[in-house]
Amino acid sequence: MRSVFALPALVCATTVMFESPIRVRRFIFNVHLILAACAGAFVVTLAGTGSIIEFEPELDRAFHARLAYVRAGQDPLSLVEIGNAVSRRFGGEPVVAYFLAAKPDLSWQVALPSGIAYVNQYTGEVLGERRRGETFLGLVRELHLRLGGGELGGGILKWSTVAMLFSLVSGLYLWWPNKQIRIRLMRSKRLRWSDLHHTVGIVSLLPLGLLATSGVILGFEGQLAPVVYRLTDSRPAVVSRFSASVHQTEAATITPDQAVAIARRLVPNAVAYRVQMPKYGGVYQVALSDANDGVAGDRNIVALDPYGNVVSVVKSSTVSRGDRVFMVNEAIHTGNILGVPTRIGALLGTIAALVQVSSGLAMWMYRRKIVGTSAVPLEATQ
Amino acid sequence: MKKIMGILLLLVSTAVAADLSGKWSGTFRATGADHDIPQLFILKQDGSKLSGSGGPNEGEQYPIESPRIDDDKVAFEITTGEWKFSYHLKVSGPHLTGDLELTSADTRRTAKVALNKVN
Repeated sequence: MRSVFALPALVCATTVMFESPIRVRRFIFNVHLILAACAGAFVVTLAGTGSIIEFEPELDRAFHARLAYVRAGQDPLSLVEIGNAVSRRFGGEPVVAYFLAAKPDLSWQVALPSGIAYVNQYTGEVLGERRRGETFLGLVRELHLRLGGGELGGGILKWSTVAMLFSLVSGLYLWWPNKQIRIRLMRSKRLRWSDLHHTVGIVSLLPLGLLATSGVILGFEGQLAPVVYRLTDSRPAVVSRFSASVHQTEAATITPDQAVAIARRLVPNAVAYRVQMPKYGGVYQVALSDANDGVAGDRNIVALDPYGNVVSVVKSSTVSRGDRVFMVNEAIHTGNILGVPTRIGALLGTIAALVQVSSGLAMWMYRRKIVGTSAVPLEATQ
Repeated sequence: MKKIMGILLLLVSTAVAADLSGKWSGTFRATGADHDIPQLFILKQDGSKLSGSGGPNEGEQYPIESPRIDDDKVAFEITTGEWKFSYHLKVSGPHLTGDLELTSADTRRTAKVALNKVN
């Protein structure tokens, strides 16, 4: 963590030490260049994969359109009917969990030991099954989080977001004297790239800054958590252990539909989106989403024993302030904070990051040629 | 003599098999993750047949599926909804160590598992 604060401290110290504004500017420029050179390729990876992940649910449904979409009907069948239809189709396999779609034209899913079955919830037709395993989108997410796997990859990406953040700050410093927002198409290649870099950089500063800052917080969540919880005077959510229920007769067990009904009475205005069966975990776990509770809205979980006795209730309204800070941060990073507009904003931010790395590289390449051929001082190329 | 040897072999194999019955506690850490996940298994072995459950704690247990025992090697699976956990472990006295493969509908990850016999 100390090294996070080392660079700005170094910049301040150097500012005092150099005295000359040109030297300071040159120093900041070199820091900007070095950070870009070190982290550019990883920022491209983060931005490229991030732009895909931004619309992962939509892309996943597009890749599996035959399984994902149904004609919206009036009332869905009961979970018992859906579970029976799926079990019949897959040789009596037990149902592990049900996933209820948020939109009426999306199919429901039933988790089985062999895979995930997709069902038309209005007719009971089993649309097909997806076996568990890595897909293109899974690989993209893995690249975004860990460069494809491993602690080293995760560490490199974490520090690349820090480098990106400092690049933005140093870039703003370098842009400030001229405050240029224009692209002169009739000028030389170098100046066109330079114009593009300056203009896109300043126009996209806010989304890029939010993406980088939220990315740093996500990357260093473990280290930042104690500070956040202390500042918010709160504690991380504790997952309650389920108490074992007293075994009763088979006839007294409730159905998943009854479990959902009980859970909805306990969390009014919320809609169930996931039901875990008691054979898998010991209790019914009904997860509910409350659209009125923002980023924490899907953190409602009611646990019931197989006989309908309430084991635990976790409500989104009780999520601690510290946990909420991290949830908001994640929602900012993914663009989900305000829905489609912010998701598009986040997408534009990732595209801007790609443009900045590419244009920065082009500026550096053309600058090298000029320096090499006519020995133009660095300041003159700015 | 052959009968005695056969009985001895049977006794030895039964003794090895009996080692798996009981509670096994430990952790796994997925590749690239920064924290350990607790594990508790409650296993019952009857000859070459293995049954039981496993999960993060005693209250949250999932039935083990597709169990296989081959000498000192044990393999089984657990399904928790989106995720399937496939364990490939090796028995060494009161220790069970090995690899875990976690697969969801779109992701595959690996982890190292270490369990110790509790009772």
